[in-house]
Amino acid sequence: MQIFLFILALIKLPAIILGLISMVGLIVQRKEFGEVLSGTLKTVLGLLIMSVGIGALINALIPIQNMFQAGFSGTSLTTFVTFDEGVVGAIQSANVGEIGAAIAWTMLFGYLIHILLARFTPFKYLYLTGHMIWIHAGAFAILFYSFGLSLFWTVVLASLVDGAYMTFMPALAQPVMRKITGSDEIAFGHGQTLLNMLAAWVGKLIGKKDDSAENVKVPQGLNFFRDMAISISLIMLVVALVAAIIAIVQVGIPAFEESISGGQNWLVFTILQALGFTAGVLVLLQGVRMLIAEIVPAFKGIGEKVIPGAKPALDCPVIYPFAPNSLIIGLISGTIAQVVAMVILALIGWPVPLPSMIAAFFASGAGAIFGNATGGRRGAWAGGFLWCFVGWFVISFAYKFQVFGDLTAMGASALGFTVPDAIIPGIVIWAIAKLFGV
Amino acid sequence: MRIATLCGMGFGTSMMLKLFIDDILKAEGIRAEVVPWDLGTFKGQQADIVVAAKDFESHLRSITARVVLIQNLVDKVEIKTKLLDAIRSLSSEASDQG
Repeated sequence: MQIFLFILALIKLPAIILGLISMVGLIVQRKEFGEVLSGTLKTVLGLLIMSVGIGALINALIPIQNMFQAGFSGTSLTTFVTFDEGVVGAIQSANVGEIGAAIAWTMLFGYLIHILLARFTPFKYLYLTGHMIWIHAGAFAILFYSFGLSLFWTVVLASLVDGAYMTFMPALAQPVMRKITGSDEIAFGHGQTLLNMLAAWVGKLIGKKDDSAENVKVPQGLNFFRDMAISISLIMLVVALVAAIIAIVQVGIPAFEESISGGQNWLVFTILQALGFTAGVLVLLQGVRMLIAEIVPAFKGIGEKVIPGAKPALDCPVIYPFAPNSLIIGLISGTIAQVVAMVILALIGWPVPLPSMIAAFFASGAGAIFGNATGGRRGAWAGGFLWCFVGWFVISFAYKFQVFGDLTAMGASALGFTVPDAIIPGIVIWAIAKLFGV
Repeated sequence: MRIATLCGMGFGTSMMLKLFIDDILKAEGIRAEVVPWDLGTFKGQQADIVVAAKDFESHLRSITARVVLIQNLVDKVEIKTKLLDAIRSLSSEASDQG
């Protein structure tokens, strides 16, 4: 009986469930015993490493939030960091009410439903972007869990939505992907699709496709933004310094050092928080890396057996080499859009997502490439700008109205979702649930 | 033999390249370990061949491994040709020394 209870307690742990998924995947691929063992262990360790990173990230983030609060005391301004891996990682590690286990099961069953849909519908796409498989499983599981459903129904409904997402979103983007890549070989598999399509649609309205941004030669000096360690450090240093200065203007240095920095010099403290946040993100990403490194090849192996000739739906950087100029246009226009959107959100009293270079580079970059494919140079500028501008409102909306439930209570404080493919279907399902009084 | 694939995050493009390369190696009957690397931590690691997108060239200048730069990340023919070239020159080098 004891041993039964032990096993039952063990297989409820998210890390163990994901480890088992890897193990089965590796056995199905007929890997040697050593590889099965190391792959399984690494998956389990990946999730544990993630929770260490999350702890560091939140510990550094809270003082920065406190600075903003001290600076804007008397107003209702709230700020938060928009970071999908952070939300899902924190909630899965905290595992409040076994939601972490529901996320792990959704990842498995959602993918199986995706494979079945791709097998039996004309949409032959195989979604292979590991962190996005995990994030969407997480977002939809959290959404249904927040309605107060049992774990069983949470996993069933979340898996259905997740499987549909992974099958139909690449299909939606494919007409534009054909224009970008000039072939029909690969599909787009990233949570940015809905806003990328908005960029493509607006590009078509206002621009000329032949006036491509790629016809000009521009220096590619901004490429270092691809290095997470650098881009996150820089942006968080700016954000933390702005927060500290606003707080100091309001309360003065002595009060700052007494109540916020615990006696430490304000500048040293602020720099440390910014870099501490980055360190937390890097640890978190290392965990994500270990978590998905074993699961993605297993999913691919199974998928290719069931749906021969499926197009792989891949991560957003696959389109960057096709349009490097648009990528830079996206980074610039996306950064401007974030600042404009932040000011408007603060003025109307909505929660303000802090600037994100990840969104400006990866998301607005892709938006600009989609815009360029349909509307040339003008489309690229509009697409990059719109991605972050509209995106910031969507992100703020989900945070303000707790579309995914009370994320803080589930373990993710001051963090919100970014990807529109999770948030927009989330808002639709949430609104329908509201209509039925859930 | 150890082949590393490199990208900014270490699980997007690098993972995709790893999957492509695993398929190529399997078809060619070559045994090698393929690991995805990220831009932040790759400098402390060891590999015989590093595969990355063309625009990562500047990050790879100081590396001792053989570097394979890919122009079109989804062109399997390009990846295959360049990778097999690198493997061949690596093994001929090894047999020269042996």
